[in-house]
Order: sequence, then structure tokens, then C-alpha cells
Amino acid sequence: MNSTHFPVYILLILLITAIIIPLKKGRYDGLFRIEMSIALGLALLLSFILFMDVYRTQAFYYTFGSWDSTIGIQFLVDDFSALMTLVVLFVATLIIIYSLRDIEHEIQKEQLFSYYSLIFLLLFSMIGMIFTNDLFNMYVFMEILSLTSCGIISIKRKKENLLASFKYLMLGAIGSVSILMGIALLYMVTGHLNMLAVRETISSVWQLYPRNILISLGFILTGLGIKAAIFPLHIWLPDAHSNAPTPSSALLSGLVVKVYVFAMGKILFRVIGQDIVKAILVPDYLTYFAATSMIMGSVFAIGQKDIKRLLAYSSVAQIGYIFLGIGLATELGFSAGLFHVISHALMKSSLFLSAGAVIYQTGKRDIRNLDGIGYLMPVSMGVFSLAALGMIGVPGLNGFMSKWYLSLAVLDAGKPVFLLVILISSFLNSIYYLPIIISAFLRDSKERENVMVIDNLPKSMMIPMVILSIACLLTGLFPNIIMNIIEKAVPTFIL
Amino acid sequence: MGGIDVFIDNINYIGAFILFVIGLYTVLTHSNLLKRIIGVNIMETSIFLFFVSIGYIKGAQAPIIDMALGDIVYVNPLPSAMILTGIVVAVSITAYALSLIIRIHEAYGSIDLNDILRPKEGESNE
Repeated sequence: MNSTHFPVYILLILLITAIIIPLKKGRYDGLFRIEMSIALGLALLLSFILFMDVYRTQAFYYTFGSWDSTIGIQFLVDDFSALMTLVVLFVATLIIIYSLRDIEHEIQKEQLFSYYSLIFLLLFSMIGMIFTNDLFNMYVFMEILSLTSCGIISIKRKKENLLASFKYLMLGAIGSVSILMGIALLYMVTGHLNMLAVRETISSVWQLYPRNILISLGFILTGLGIKAAIFPLHIWLPDAHSNAPTPSSALLSGLVVKVYVFAMGKILFRVIGQDIVKAILVPDYLTYFAATSMIMGSVFAIGQKDIKRLLAYSSVAQIGYIFLGIGLATELGFSAGLFHVISHALMKSSLFLSAGAVIYQTGKRDIRNLDGIGYLMPVSMGVFSLAALGMIGVPGLNGFMSKWYLSLAVLDAGKPVFLLVILISSFLNSIYYLPIIISAFLRDSKERENVMVIDNLPKSMMIPMVILSIACLLTGLFPNIIMNIIEKAVPTFIL
Repeated sequence: MGGIDVFIDNINYIGAFILFVIGLYTVLTHSNLLKRIIGVNIMETSIFLFFVSIGYIKGAQAPIIDMALGDIVYVNPLPSAMILTGIVVAVSITAYALSLIIRIHEAYGSIDLNDILRPKEGESNE
């Protein structure tokens, strides 16, 4: 079967589902859930076939309406964007299955339809951003993404959520305005919006306008830095990710932030090009910010008492790892960054889902009250511990592999000082993750005896968590499955 | 004299950047949420001005191609077309932000950040 049109089919399925959901005036019942699962399953199947086809044959360009690429919009479907789509849809499907029961606790019944509509729009814009090869198109998808991600936070009618999403919206608006300014400056120099055409023009004339490119990159990187929450620009993230309903937190922390990082990689290496970026010293500054992010995110996380807030700060630190990989501006570094994009998506969503399961069953958010909870909820805390150990970097889990690749890349680039930063950050990670695991499994509970029972959770919440942690294990034990794809895709970025 | 000519020739770009900075200053410094939204709108407008200026050519015609007139210079229509999309995006952000402000006013009884955050002083970060 010819998979040329599959990227558009995936987008259309998600968009049409998003529009149909609020039109249905039915009840939130089994039928509604089945319809939603069919749409998601179909999108997942299409993305899997697309990925296999692209992996077996080669990357291709998709031009909309057969317009010339200088005027029309173009998609570039290569190995990594197909893999990323697959991961996004896979993790999102699991999160949505989990959310079917959990979300009833978090938001009002009449909001459920709008919630799922927003979720599908969110997925639509993420996948659009992954595939697009056009700068302005990327901006439009980015705006849809930032609006919908604010929407899935503010849908929970709590005071804090309103302020958190307002803060996110304002900073996100400043970020998108900066990105648009950067795109305008690039358009001014090159006269193109298509990434390939921009690159061709820039590589021939960049000596004439080095300052212009530097300013435009500054605007774009600041904007994407706000949206991807790198250290000094992260202030919106803890509020937004910790107050949101659990499925939203998992989506935002696991997937949405990664899409912005991927967009940054595209702009640095596919639009501007490795040589030019290195010549104007942008990646060096990126690594400095990444290093502070890795340390400071963990330091802030140590002080947190609320489990979801702790996970949110941990995201800031983990984003630093990805930025470090990108900032090295070598093939190894970029591959390590992309590997961490995927492994962090798996780990962080299983962490958020298991923390959400604890809140669902016991209502406890404070990490000091988690004594002996491992005996009450062995499955959830097992998933949590596995992912947390992965975050710390215990061998055999995917977090270790991404740190391994990153360390190799750092040594290869001749910057051993960052190896020290990686090590310190790992120690800091263990300072705040290990106490939770220890108190959950080794301390006596104050309320009940430590007798092992199975979690009192719906199956639709337990199965997605378990699948996610199996995926963490598999990518940790067989990292080559993903690394082969990334190594095939990275040379197309760094030409 | 050259300095003034450069200034006049690039007045659009200079104006756009001044507006950008005014907007950014408003967003970052004002505690009134409504004024922050106004600031974001000013920033967006500055980009629209900037984008449209890129396509402008002095003395050129509107891009309605008439074969009878022969070879004449047209203004680049692409930036204007893109800015239409940009305006739609800006309007939707403003609408969403205003609706959030209504909810914030219902919840806190104020739209000034100083009033909203005052009761929290003295509380610890828990």
C-alpha cells in the first residue's frame, strides 16, 4: 500500500475527531470511549505503517496540493519524524486510555467533551510541527499547540490552575512572538520560508549577513527556550505541569516540550546548518544554559514536597540533557539528544501517571506521607520506582543509555567538563528520587500494616502504566532499536 | 545627512522594534493582567508591521497582475497573506486570555497580580 498520503491522513483523523467530539450531544459513555479509541488506534496504525515504509525505503517530501515548494506548504517525512510521530501517538494513546477513568475525578462532567477535543487538537498540532518543512507553517502549528496546552491546564476549575495557565499563556505568547520575529528576519535575508530553500540561500550568502542571522537565531532560540523551559526561562513550567490534571501533566511534560526541542534541532541544523551555527558560537551558549538547567532543575526539585511539582522541576533538569546534546552540535551529541527525547518521554509519562494513580487512590500529594505506600499500591509504585531509577541512570534502563550516549558525545566533542555536570546532575537526581522509593517500600506506614495488596485501581489505569514501564525496560535493554533509526536520520539533519 | 536618510528609509523597521520593546516592557512590568494582554497585542502588531514592511517596495503597484501594463514592479503579497493568519492567531490568543481573566476575577475578585498574590505572603512553598 502506498503510504505517501499517510501523514495527512493522520492529521485529518485527529482534526476531524477533535471537531466531531463536541458536536456529539451524547453522554460520556462506553460508545464515546470506543469511538475515540478507534480514531486513535487508526492514527497509531497509520503512523506505524508510515514509519516502517520510511524506514525500509527513504525519506520523502509531501507537497500540499502539488504547489511548488517555494509557494506551497511542504512536509518532510524522514526516519526520525516518523519515529517521533509513532512515539507521540503511542504514549498519547496510553495516556488517553489512562485518562478515561482518572479524568472524571479531576474535572467536571460537562467539560469532558471539550477536554478530549482539546487533546486531539493538541496531538494534531504536535504531529504537524514534527512533519512540517515550512517555517510559517511551523509557527501556526506552534500557536495551536500553545493555546491547546493552556486549555488542558485551565479546564480544571481551581484557582491555581487559572493563574498557572495565564502565566503559561503570557510567556508562551512572548515566546511565539519572538519566534515569529526570528522567522521574519530569516525571511528578510532569504526570501523563502521553505526550510530547504532557506538553507540553500543562507549557505551561499551568510557571510554578508552574519549579524542578521545571529539576531534571528537569538529570537528563535529565546522563543523556543521559553516554550521548552530551559533554566532561566522555566518559571511557568512547575506551576503549569503540577496543577494540570494528571493526564495533561503527562502529555505536557512527556511530549509537548519535546516537540519544541525537536523544532529547535530542525532550525539549528536543517535551516541554518551546522557550520554556520558553529561559526557564530550559538551552540556553546546553548550548552552553558543546558548545564545550568541540569543542575538548577535538580536543586529546585530537591526542595519540593508536592510530588507532581517535584516531577515538573525534574523535567527542567532533563530538558537540559537534551539541550546539551543539541548544543554539542556534533552527530553523536545530536543523536544522544534525540535518544533522550524518546526515553524521557517514556520515563516522565510513566512517572506522572503513577504519581497520578497514587493521588487517585489515596489523595496524597505530599511526599512525606508516602510511607509504606509500596505495599498498598505495588504496581503503581513499582512503575514509579522503575522510571525513577531510569531517571537516576541505573544500568539496564533507558535513562542510563541516554546518559551513556551523552557522555560519549561529550568526550568526543572534547568538553569533559560537561561529563562532570552529567555526573553531578545524576547524583542530585538520586537525592530526590531515592527517598520516595525508600519511604514507599522500606518504611512502616502510620495507618496500616505493611501487607502487600494489589492496587485498588481500574484496569484501564494500570495497564497503560505497566506498558510504559515495559517500554522503558525494552529501550534500556535494546537501545539499538531506536539508536539505529536515529543514526540513520541524524546525517540528514547535519549535512 | 546620511544618518537621517537611513533613518527615514528604515522608519518601518525602527518603528516595529520600538513597538516590540514597548510591548515587552508592558508585559513584563505591569501587574494588571489586562495591561499585560495589551502589551502582548502591541508586540504582535509590531511583528505584523515588520513582516508587511519586508514585502513593501517603494513605488510598486498592488499585486494585481494586468498583462496589458507590461513589466512593472509589484509589492510582494506573500507577507501580507501570512500576516492575515498571524492576525487570526493573535485574536484567538487575546480571546482566550480575556476569558481567563474573567475566570480569575471570579475566583480572586481582582485582576491585579499584587492583590491576587498578597494573601499568599508568609505561606511556605508547599
